[in-house]
Amino acid sequence: MSSKYQKAPMKLKPSDFKILVVIFFLLLCVIPWTLGQTRQRTDSVKYKRFLPDYVKMQFAGGIGFLSPGVGYSFFKQRFEVSCFYGYVPEFVSADDLHSVSLQLTAKFFRFNAGKNIEVVPLNIGWFIHHTFGHEYWIKLPSYYPDEYYWWSPGRNSGVFVGGEVKTRFLGNKTPASGTAFYVRVGSRGLYIASKFGNASIPLSDIIEFGFGVSVYR
Amino acid sequence: MKTKMMQPKFMFFIFISLITVGCENTFDYSPYAIDFSEENRNVNQKNIEKLMATECDDTLTIAFTGDTHNFFDETELFVGKVNQNPAIDFVIHVGDIADFGLPKQFLWGNSMLSKLAVPYFVVIGNHDLIGNGSEAYLEMFGAFDYSFIYNKIKFVFINTNSLEFEYCGTVPDIRWLEGQLIPTEDFTKAIVIFHTPPSDIGFDATLSDDFHHTLGLYHNVLFVVHGHLHHHEIYYPFEGNLTYVNVYGAEHNKFNVIQISESSYEIETIGF
Repeated sequence: MSSKYQKAPMKLKPSDFKILVVIFFLLLCVIPWTLGQTRQRTDSVKYKRFLPDYVKMQFAGGIGFLSPGVGYSFFKQRFEVSCFYGYVPEFVSADDLHSVSLQLTAKFFRFNAGKNIEVVPLNIGWFIHHTFGHEYWIKLPSYYPDEYYWWSPGRNSGVFVGGEVKTRFLGNKTPASGTAFYVRVGSRGLYIASKFGNASIPLSDIIEFGFGVSVYR
Repeated sequence: MKTKMMQPKFMFFIFISLITVGCENTFDYSPYAIDFSEENRNVNQKNIEKLMATECDDTLTIAFTGDTHNFFDETELFVGKVNQNPAIDFVIHVGDIADFGLPKQFLWGNSMLSKLAVPYFVVIGNHDLIGNGSEAYLEMFGAFDYSFIYNKIKFVFINTNSLEFEYCGTVPDIRWLEGQLIPTEDFTKAIVIFHTPPSDIGFDATLSDDFHHTLGLYHNVLFVVHGHLHHHEIYYPFEGNLTYVNVYGAEHNKFNVIQISESSYEIETIGF
């Protein structure tokens, strides 16, 4: 097989880190919101206020094979802002892939299903996903005429619904307050655009299913 | 009391089982993950072998489609129509099988074309090269420039999407094209197929004269076929007598058929 056209190996350009900077500043902006919540806790060490409210590890869901994430909860845990680093290893793809995503989740309902189990059944979320590499551009490269392509391979967004079961697992032996197991089902704009007007594409083909674990502070 | 379901060991077992299932395309890891199964790999070469195993009568009939982009339903209709016509010997797709260059769109496009009863060949289009589409094409269809000889006719498929390679000067690879057209005993005529025509901004304007000149060098090119513009037209650019055939994109619910006999060829349009 000819490989003379194969493009240069993927490199992380400084401009690729723009989104990281954006996420960083976004987190900086929202941290003061968390102060109200953390003040009620008994933490005497001030820096703990800045610790994320939870860490996550997600499998699949379109944002990576395995994606570690951190985030903050607001409005009595009704709203979450999370960011993930997603990695796709070579054993599930021709090339390994690195990406980051920012995710906003609204959690409308919750109920207790036992003494130590809380069910959060209907979460709705939006995410924006950025894949690193020169071929995944965000701004149309300058060698193209204006508006030659209308989308950006490097950054696309989507929506999802999900559910979560919170348990006290890890709560007794570690500083964590508990562990949640969650699932999510979503799709992204580029897939929805492909499905539009095409009955021949099965709906299941545009669905990104993922699940993961959250450990809460 | 803890139920069996909540035991960590049991949860871990469930997690591992799901991951194992996940390795068989159940889960999405990224829109750019390329994990094609065997039937979606090396498709052009497999179809060349399939074609070589068939016998040809005096008249060769080829159906052309292309620019299928996000017109998957139309592509499916096209496949159905071709399968009803036993005269068609094989099908050529003139590029842009994946609108956003996504591996999943390659899979959708090929899942439609693979239902064809006859062999099919896909040339690379500019949309197929976006993101890691170039790699998806290499995995699914093979080399960007390739050729085969059938019934004493050489079919030459060449990547002409210069803009996607930043007008690097070697796309299209004119020296490769010249080498392919050098007359041998194995073929008497040649048909050259590509996606972007020389008149388009996607084609490196500094190479278009050389490209056209090379096509006429050995006077053995019967005609050339391209897509990219989605409509149908037969024209003669560069004040020459070489026939350029622009074939219909799938969204017009029409396709072109070219019948080639010993002494002539005929181009017709069929609706679906």
